[in-house]
Amino acid sequence: MSDAALLARRLAAFRDRRDGDPADPRRAHEEIRAQERSGDLAERLAAAVDGEVVATDRGRVVRRVVPSVAVPLDRERLGRLPGWPAAGVPLVCLDTETTGLATAAGTVAFLVGVGRWHDDAFDQVQLLLPDHSDEPALLAALADVLPLDGWLVTYNGRGFDWPLLVARYRMDRRPAPQLAGHLDLLPFVRRVFRHRLEDARLRSVERGLLGIRRVGDVDGWEIPGRYLDFLRGGPADRLADVVRHNERDVASLAGLLGHVGATLADPDARTRTPAGDLVGLARVYRDARRHADALACLDAAFERARPDASDLAARRAHDALALERARTLRRLGRATEALAAWRGLVGAGGPFAGIALVEVAKALEHRWADPIGALEAVERACAIAERARSIGRPMPNLEADLAYRRRRLVARIARRRERPAVASTYRKARRVPALIARRPIPAGVA
Amino acid sequence: MRTYAPLDTPAVLKTILAEPSLARGVVHHATLPARSGEYAPLPDWLDPRIRDGLRLRGIERLYVHQAEALESIRAGRDVVVVTPTASGKTLCYAIPTLQAIADDPAARALYLFPTKALGQDQVAEFTELSRAAGLTISAATYDGDTPAPIRSAIRGAGQVVVTNPDMLHSAILPHHTKWFQLFEQLRIIVIDELHSYRGVFGSHVANVLRRLLRLCAHYGSRPIIVCCSATIGNPAELASALIGRPARLVDRNGAPSGERHVLLVDPPLLDASTGARGSALTLAQRWALPFLRAGRQTVVFGRSRTSVELLLTGLRESLRESYGPRSRVRGYRGGYLPTERRAIERGLRDGEVLGVVSTNALELGVDIGRLDAAILAGYPGSIAATWQQMGRAGRRGAASVAVLVASASPVDQYVIHHPEYLLANTPEEARVDPDNLHILLAHLRAATFELPFEPGEVFGPAPADDLLAFLAEEGHVRQAGDGRWYWSSENFPASEISLRSAAPENVVIIDTTPDRPRVLGEVDLFSAQVLVHERAIYIHESQQYYVDRLEWGEKKAYVHRVDVDHYTYANRAVTLKPLEVFAEGPVPGGRRVHGEVMVASLVTLFKKLKFVTDENVGWGPIDLPELELQTTAYWLTAEGAAGGWRRNELDVALMGAGRAIQTVASVVLMVDPRDLGLVTQVRSPHHEAPTIYLYEAVPGGIGLAERLFDRHAELISGATDLIVACDCDSGCPACTGPRLEPDVDAKALALRLLADLTEGRTVPGPPAEPPVALGDIAR
Repeated sequence: MSDAALLARRLAAFRDRRDGDPADPRRAHEEIRAQERSGDLAERLAAAVDGEVVATDRGRVVRRVVPSVAVPLDRERLGRLPGWPAAGVPLVCLDTETTGLATAAGTVAFLVGVGRWHDDAFDQVQLLLPDHSDEPALLAALADVLPLDGWLVTYNGRGFDWPLLVARYRMDRRPAPQLAGHLDLLPFVRRVFRHRLEDARLRSVERGLLGIRRVGDVDGWEIPGRYLDFLRGGPADRLADVVRHNERDVASLAGLLGHVGATLADPDARTRTPAGDLVGLARVYRDARRHADALACLDAAFERARPDASDLAARRAHDALALERARTLRRLGRATEALAAWRGLVGAGGPFAGIALVEVAKALEHRWADPIGALEAVERACAIAERARSIGRPMPNLEADLAYRRRRLVARIARRRERPAVASTYRKARRVPALIARRPIPAGVA
Repeated sequence: MRTYAPLDTPAVLKTILAEPSLARGVVHHATLPARSGEYAPLPDWLDPRIRDGLRLRGIERLYVHQAEALESIRAGRDVVVVTPTASGKTLCYAIPTLQAIADDPAARALYLFPTKALGQDQVAEFTELSRAAGLTISAATYDGDTPAPIRSAIRGAGQVVVTNPDMLHSAILPHHTKWFQLFEQLRIIVIDELHSYRGVFGSHVANVLRRLLRLCAHYGSRPIIVCCSATIGNPAELASALIGRPARLVDRNGAPSGERHVLLVDPPLLDASTGARGSALTLAQRWALPFLRAGRQTVVFGRSRTSVELLLTGLRESLRESYGPRSRVRGYRGGYLPTERRAIERGLRDGEVLGVVSTNALELGVDIGRLDAAILAGYPGSIAATWQQMGRAGRRGAASVAVLVASASPVDQYVIHHPEYLLANTPEEARVDPDNLHILLAHLRAATFELPFEPGEVFGPAPADDLLAFLAEEGHVRQAGDGRWYWSSENFPASEISLRSAAPENVVIIDTTPDRPRVLGEVDLFSAQVLVHERAIYIHESQQYYVDRLEWGEKKAYVHRVDVDHYTYANRAVTLKPLEVFAEGPVPGGRRVHGEVMVASLVTLFKKLKFVTDENVGWGPIDLPELELQTTAYWLTAEGAAGGWRRNELDVALMGAGRAIQTVASVVLMVDPRDLGLVTQVRSPHHEAPTIYLYEAVPGGIGLAERLFDRHAELISGATDLIVACDCDSGCPACTGPRLEPDVDAKALALRLLADLTEGRTVPGPPAEPPVALGDIAR
């Protein structure tokens, strides 16, 4: 028996046994499918989602145009945020709906929603895939709407939507459209707004930042099933909800840009922005090494955060803010102010006093060549660490750091005492830090 | 023996053979003559840089097999290189890879090794060679240990990507769009240790390669495939079954070797009534010690990790008592750290390590140079593996010794008493069945996920449309308007396939001893029934674990570490029902049949047995559902067996003959005896005749049953030989299996039945109309 014949026989035997089993749910399923399988997929899809069928030589695509809405953006200001596109660059908000969550070869983007600005008007177009075989048409249509010099705006698009689309273009053996840039808002939201959202999903962002509550929205996990069902002859109208879901997602991307522009990008508006957001934004600036901007955010937040002494959480947040401000001052090279800020934190006696004392010690030792003052700070920090341990909340990292620092400072001071004066003078003359050492410690700081 | 004067290998052997207690056990002693090397010059077309690089590493000329492989690859033909251990197989593919990249730096190569460790060795070796040639080639392993940032670098720029079939299957193929540079420029695919891809694993790998080549075609590349194999009976056939196209066989070994002594040794029979024999481990140690004491480099192979540790302890102990070179004897097995293993390999190459005790981990292509003696404690399960292990001994200019010490197991006993079987140089054939329906369909799903199927596109032996239509009924794929077949499910099909097993579901074993429970391993459902039922003692890496809980629904077994003096043995009750007959024919005394069967396995109780003595110290019930296995089987009926059997005698005879046939079958097919299940029925309801079934333990089977059907006569005569040659009185575990009733002569009964099956009357006619003779047996 040839291999092919043997295989056919194995399949026939396997099928016989399965079909002989009346309990097999697939049989009933198949019968229902057969009844439903009627009508043209593209036409049915277009009718269900209120779109139009566009036929090309590479296949058909269903195109749905969403009525234009006004979403004014202050592009000048947004462009000043680190890593954000400059004012003149066209922005394209994009979101896909797919047949699965794996960004591997068998996952298809069956709906791509794209939104662009024409002046203040935000216009959305949705491209839908009527059948697997029409994918080249969808990819071509998408390439047409993506401007060459444009930036993509997505939510988790860097990890998901865009790699998936690139894979689709490669499957089709065509190059993916070139992008000038990609602004993924998920990491930005995580850094800036996450502190006051229940999670970082786009739906929570809408609710928490834009004040929008979705009613009758379809759950994400249901979406692939609804589409695959439609392909197999199931109802198309269940995709209407999916299309609406995608439309809202894209609209929210635009809304989020508007919100950022109104609350964060405008320095004057920062007086109304929650302090936590400003702290997050400061972190974004810090990572872009724009420390002056970071400091501006922190100062704005600091000014308005005057916590009530009884609210422990708020006090902690305030101290964290002070800590970050002190670090930013140090990064800016404003050592004297930084030292004052550290001492302020020490004086406040909060949970960060220990860390602040370490910073004071570092500054005194290295910047002002005052190992004795540094050792004093370390001793104070040790006392704090000890107290923390005694109440059952040890700070092992801090303790380890302090132990090391104390050993080193003690040794350094001992060396200095043993060394004869001549050698010491010689050393001072030779070494640059010695010059710094003569700098007087600012009054009120020491 | 307390002298440690260095002696040469033949002298050590002479001393041993002068010792009667050792010489008595030698069943066979063969001497293979020395052979000189056959060489060929480096080919003219070789890039001068590669030529210089080879010279730098002391290679001025090639062995003939290397030259032949190079020319063949140059001519664009797939090859399969088959030569013994340490004959320079690596160069057969390393040189063509270097040449391809020297010609075109964009060229890429993909190397497949069955295990991670082998792949990592290979990268180090290849990098040294390419550096010597002055070529900067990025070669890297891509496996489960590769960190994420390095992964993307390898995808983009790795010129030689070294991986294993599992990784190719689950991480590379489904994500091929990220690997497009590799697929577009793939020139050479290397499949080393080809012989390890047999059985279920091989059948999976064949399908993974089908998927790989399909994607290459999509990206417009047509790589040449270079396979390397240890000596097996059908390398070219195996290669073409795996890669789906013919490969040219290169098996003219040009590497020189010295004189070799091969000895087959049997431990003494202790009790003829039970068939008990002395321990193979003890005897192997006694053989190894004189070589070690004389300063000869020796490898001792144990069959399990436990036996390796026992051998190592024993050898060190003996060397310590007699102030021998104890610290220069090392262990080598899977659980050791990679750095430790590298150090031992280096030590063996430069002579610092004198002796090594290893599992089959050293059987594969790890470079440890050539040693003086190889002692095998137990038959490794196949001729091919035996020669691989024996091949570790074999110096170019000097004599070497290889000793196979048999255990008391039936397979070992069969092999040792049939030296021609081992020495006639007809190693077993390795079988794969890439068209096993379960395996094929699983990979067809994965292939559709990776790339839609054109109508009429071939996958395996035929156009895939019928199979795809079948999958479409399940809803995983669908045929779109353009006639192509597309993946249409949310699932990720590759994650549902494990290449190392045919059954899709496994039970995960979780160790709850540490604070953070960890996964110990996985077993398939059938094994789970007997290995990890509640209150079982599960043994993993020679550590015992007590099974607290088996969540059958969730497929999880929870265990904790214990130290007890017993193990557990679960009784499996198997019932078998024939479903369909594929082929059948009359044979002396009855009929032989190849067909499909349904095996139901129920495990109801377990026994606790003491280590060493196997004394029964308790039992317990097991409450697990019955499992069904649909598979292929070979069976033989004995309608024509002469009458006059008492029912209980026939029962013993069928079981005894069945055991012997099962043993011979596992030897002939180079499989583990556990891969073939045995069921006997005094009067099978299907045939209404005494029947012996051998079924495949894998769902759907992988073609073993068909081979057994073809070799029926060989099985009957082999089983007869096995029982006749056994030293026992009336049946023992080495021939007819454990004795069920003390007063019955299982040996005589089984031989009587086999005689009927050898000389008995041929029964004509289909089994549906049972012949009249059946009435006699029923009475």
